[in-house]
Amino acid sequence: MKDMILLAYRDIKERKTRTALTLLGIAVGIAAVIALISVGYGFRQSVTSELVEMGDLIMVLPGEASWGEYMELGRFNDRDLKDVERISGVKEAAAMASRTEEVEYRGERKMANVIGVEPQDIDVIFGDIVNTEEGKGGRGLRDNDHRACQIGYSIANDYFDEEIRVNDRLNIGGKKFRVVGILEEQGGFKAGVDSGIFVTRRDAKSILGNDDISEIWVKIRNIAEAEGIADEIEERIDENHKLDDFASAMTMGSAIEQLNTVFGLLQAVLVAIASISLIVASMGIINTMLMSVMERTHEIGVMKAIGAKNRNVLSLFLVEAGLVSAAGGVLGCVLGVIGAYVISMGISAQFGMNIPAMVQPEVMLGGLGVAVLVGILSGLYPAGKASKMSPVEAVRYE
Amino acid sequence: MIRAEHLSKVYRMGKIEVPALRDVNLEIQDGEFLAIVGSSGSGKSTLLNMLGCLDKPTSGAVFIDGVDTASLSENELAGIRREKIGFIFQQFNLIHSLNAVENVSLPMFFAGVSSETRTKRAAELLIKVGLRERMHHKPAELSGGQQQRVAIARALSNNPEIIIGDEPTGNVDSETGDAIMGILKELNHEGRTLIVVTHDAEIAAHAPRVIRMKDGRLHEE
Repeated sequence: MKDMILLAYRDIKERKTRTALTLLGIAVGIAAVIALISVGYGFRQSVTSELVEMGDLIMVLPGEASWGEYMELGRFNDRDLKDVERISGVKEAAAMASRTEEVEYRGERKMANVIGVEPQDIDVIFGDIVNTEEGKGGRGLRDNDHRACQIGYSIANDYFDEEIRVNDRLNIGGKKFRVVGILEEQGGFKAGVDSGIFVTRRDAKSILGNDDISEIWVKIRNIAEAEGIADEIEERIDENHKLDDFASAMTMGSAIEQLNTVFGLLQAVLVAIASISLIVASMGIINTMLMSVMERTHEIGVMKAIGAKNRNVLSLFLVEAGLVSAAGGVLGCVLGVIGAYVISMGISAQFGMNIPAMVQPEVMLGGLGVAVLVGILSGLYPAGKASKMSPVEAVRYE
Repeated sequence: MIRAEHLSKVYRMGKIEVPALRDVNLEIQDGEFLAIVGSSGSGKSTLLNMLGCLDKPTSGAVFIDGVDTASLSENELAGIRREKIGFIFQQFNLIHSLNAVENVSLPMFFAGVSSETRTKRAAELLIKVGLRERMHHKPAELSGGQQQRVAIARALSNNPEIIIGDEPTGNVDSETGDAIMGILKELNHEGRTLIVVTHDAEIAAHAPRVIRMKDGRLHEE
């Protein structure tokens, strides 16, 4: 075998440029697959770890909800909120009333998401990462605020032609509001905060015209009880409204599960697309090997004349194909890792999302294996053709 | 011993059938030196290919040491070419990516001989044909005569009983040709059967037995 590899290597050396191009074809295919899997895995990890951090939260929506799909069936009311708060194991429950409203700033009108929430509940829902930007003189929303709002980073900086500052006035749903604080940029899973305008529930009522609650966020004491509590929440609220399957209480655990399904599907599609380049690369190998077989017809004839068995010729060409594709696989792994980091940096530069490139060793090993497999499979036809040549005709071929 | 019985070969070119051998009967004893002469197209190379198990006859049979070669599989024929026959071609037919030692080792490689034994024997054979200084040169770095010496060493690598030369001196000058014939005759003196195809009367004069091919038929001289 060692001699066979040496012999194949000698032949490869005779055709440097062509071999390099074939090798590159394989490398690009493998690199694409590895980079996509790695970035996809990193994306999944970063999202799920964020969700795991929020493991003590249950989101309750009035309607049938699963991630990516939501059909609103109505609204909650204060009685629902009180009932939820009374369930054992519940630490806090926070209500949110949100609706898209027309917002006017210095004569410019835009639609924006207005969120009514009790000031102390902001922490319950979004954690302690929501801070008023330092150095701009802003502050958080207070209980006794009247016609005051705290706005997300994107609302302040991107929505309107002119940047909104603390103490500027906004017209929300026909009523004047003062901006008391601007929130830090959140991004990622909490990107919704960036495009929200936060007001007290009292002010929300005056804008929206009712007391309805669009979602309830529940913080629980023990994460292990999450599923049980979620079931109880749904039961209580459904009872209040005399409806089956009205409320959907989603724990972060079930959210992670659903996200994983979606990601898995997305990744499968991406890898399938990347695999097309592998098919193209495999045709490249077949082509190169066929040319090599044709050019070496005379040589094959000589080898057979001096006693090479069909099997010897077959394995010589298979080893050659395997060598080229293994080298392509190694190069592909290197390019794939580099590619994963480049994509990761590109995403963070372009969209401000932090998606780490997570290259798993088993993915690289798999890539290498696939490369060699593709090489040998692609080499089978040309090598078979070479091995079946008649010695006398092949020797005569010039 | 090699025996050809009623050997015929017909080449088909489209619809035209070209007979290359017509009912050839021939017996070659072990250790014999036989020259086959004839003009080009007379069928002498075709006969050589049949005797060397490179090609199969259309009808008739070739027996090598009593074995009907028609009954053998492709791999068994490859085995006979590897173990019993050493080929020397007019065009030398060395593998250009391999150096002299590696070329000579190749038939042993196909025979499954270990790497050390191969290299040792290849070196000995190259010394025997007078190429001590050229062992690691590639064919392109060797003269025609030197390449033919490498080819002879390669033909000897598995110590075959039969040496077959297809115009072995056809591509070298007459002085080198004499030297090549000298080596081949020496191999015959060692007891190997030597079959040489040539159209050169001078080369044929070396052989105790000469047969002439004409229009695919054999005439003993």
